[in-house]
Amino acid sequence: MRLRSITLTNFRQFSGTQVLELDSGSVKPVSLIFGANGAGKTTLLNAFTWALYGTMSDDVEEQDRMVTDCVWRELPAGASAELAVELRFDHEGHDYRLRRGTQVRKQSDEQQRPSAEVRLWQTMADGSSEEIGAPQERIYSILPRGVSRFFFFNGERIEKLVKKGAYSEVQQDIKALLDLEQVERALEHLPKVDRRLTADLKKHGGERASEIQTAIDDLRDSQAESHEDLKVLEGEQAMLVEERDSVVELLRQHAGVAPIQKERDRVAAELEDARTQRDAAIRERASLVASRGFLAFTDELAAKTAGMAAALYQKGALPAPLKREFVDQLLEDHSCICGTPLAEGTEPWQKVNDWRQRAGLQMVETAWQQLSGQITQLSSARQELHASLQAVIKRVTAERERVTRLEEAMSELDGQLNDPRREDVQQLESKRRDLEARIGDKRERIGALRAELERIQREIDQKTAERSKAEVKDELANKARARSDLVQSVRRALDEILAIRKEEMRDRLDAKLKDVFGKITIKRHVPRLSKDFELALYEDVNGVELAVPKSTGENQILSLSFVAAVSELAREIRAEHRAEGEPPDDAGTYPIVMDAAFGSLDQNYQREVSRVLAQMAPQLVVLVSKSQGLGQVVSELMPFVSHLGVIVTHTTGLSGASEDIELEGMAYPYICSPAETDHAELKVIK
Amino acid sequence: MATGKRTERDVLQELSSEELQLLKRVLEIERAKLHVKAADLTDDLLSAVKAILP
Repeated sequence: MRLRSITLTNFRQFSGTQVLELDSGSVKPVSLIFGANGAGKTTLLNAFTWALYGTMSDDVEEQDRMVTDCVWRELPAGASAELAVELRFDHEGHDYRLRRGTQVRKQSDEQQRPSAEVRLWQTMADGSSEEIGAPQERIYSILPRGVSRFFFFNGERIEKLVKKGAYSEVQQDIKALLDLEQVERALEHLPKVDRRLTADLKKHGGERASEIQTAIDDLRDSQAESHEDLKVLEGEQAMLVEERDSVVELLRQHAGVAPIQKERDRVAAELEDARTQRDAAIRERASLVASRGFLAFTDELAAKTAGMAAALYQKGALPAPLKREFVDQLLEDHSCICGTPLAEGTEPWQKVNDWRQRAGLQMVETAWQQLSGQITQLSSARQELHASLQAVIKRVTAERERVTRLEEAMSELDGQLNDPRREDVQQLESKRRDLEARIGDKRERIGALRAELERIQREIDQKTAERSKAEVKDELANKARARSDLVQSVRRALDEILAIRKEEMRDRLDAKLKDVFGKITIKRHVPRLSKDFELALYEDVNGVELAVPKSTGENQILSLSFVAAVSELAREIRAEHRAEGEPPDDAGTYPIVMDAAFGSLDQNYQREVSRVLAQMAPQLVVLVSKSQGLGQVVSELMPFVSHLGVIVTHTTGLSGASEDIELEGMAYPYICSPAETDHAELKVIK
Repeated sequence: MATGKRTERDVLQELSSEELQLLKRVLEIERAKLHVKAADLTDDLLSAVKAILP
């Protein structure tokens, strides 16, 4: 299929009738169309799929408003507007003109989704045109709906192609593209044909032949039943494998967080210690304050007391030491130490008694003396207290800071660990083991069924050989037997062809994908296509092959590589000598139409993808904005460009928003503002 | 099924002309109706067999 032109009539933003020529050769296969955001690039992409299938992608909003708004507004009630997309293309040696369109009658301001009619014309060798009776069927046979997603796509969404779980759908579509599906379906249908043929043999073939045929039919029934069971089991096994893989992925994530968990454990232990140390320091400080805190207030008091004592000594208020008990004893003995009698009331008694009063101050004196000694100690104790308090306060501060820092670290680590998808490791591990056991069970049952199918096939072959030898007199029955033998031979051949093609296609697609991806990526990642067409990326880490979790960008590159590889392989295999016979020149040729072609790829990847696609795609229509398309992309694609255009945005918005685009040294309108109406204009540059 | 080194061409070369004819016709019929998932092609295929072995 090669696109030649697309004509839009009042289709969405594209008012009036606008034509875009797309005819291109193998030297310059690229059509490069620029458009601002909202200009109509996605609409143009959808115009192709709407023309082909009558559908648009889900990301197109307001799908009822098919007729250009400004055209609809100006349309008088009761009048009709034409809505159409016409596509001209070549396919396998024939020229086609496809038109999907309708007259949309205005009944209110609101548009109702129109029901469009599709028509298809084929140009004959003599130049005459013939309308195809079943246009949609023919379109589907030219490009099956499922397959079209490899060729008409939005670059920003293309990564879905390689997302986990998408491969079964991809595998199905690929089968059609790589000539596998028709073989599979033939193998499904031929047994029914055989059953119809052998009915005559059973009826008219005589007792022996009929008996053999009945046995063959029974075996075929068992075979069909076993095939069905096998399919179910394989489907169940695939689901279990997918579930097991997702559990393994979660376990892998767990393994990935193991260092975080270890760090968290370390931080938790340190935090516990820091909190204990902090609390101990606080308790020590409290104890110091409670037991020795008063010392802080003794400085002035001690000085005052020492001063007082000194003054008292000076005044003689504090005499020499003389114990009161000694004086009391002298008075009681009525005799002084000098021998003078101490009669009560006498002068000597009075003098000694005076000493008694003085001796009464002895304790005070002693106390004063002690106090004086303590005052000296108080000062050093106060200094010690000061030093101790300073040390303990420093410890409290340090431990508090350590606790705060560790709490923050802990919170950060908890955030990293607190992913709800991460189930308990043990739970996951037991789930994985359970799934492995169930997969093992399915595998055993699949193996047993395959053995059973082989046994059935051997018996069928044996019975078929017996049938060939059985005497059959009836001509109709003989004919039925010959036809059945023919069908059986073809069936066996197709069975083998399917196995050969499956293996070959996968290997070739895998090799091609590796080649394309290798040309684009800057990393050492290698893609691999499994036997079920599941795509995965691997990297070599010290000789160990590890699966690489793909980013959105890598998924886009992988998807684009896959599209390019599929596109090239489809062309290659059709050019080879195959069971379907000699192919037409352009067999397996499909255009690639890409909106937002480079998604969110970096500049270097945009350049590489541009280069690879331009070299590999037989026809490429690239729809890009200035920000995506200028620079590297333009310089890479320009040597391959045969058609260059701009979807000019005409907007009724504020003046001053007008913008030009510079291409090949010339400026062209990109946004025109203010315009009379909001619409898009396809401007052909070359 | 073990395919060994056998190719599609090997398989085709071993078929008789009638078998080859039917095989090509079967694939042609199936290919034309690939898009119709529920297509019952028994009658079409039966006619093809009868056309080759009238």
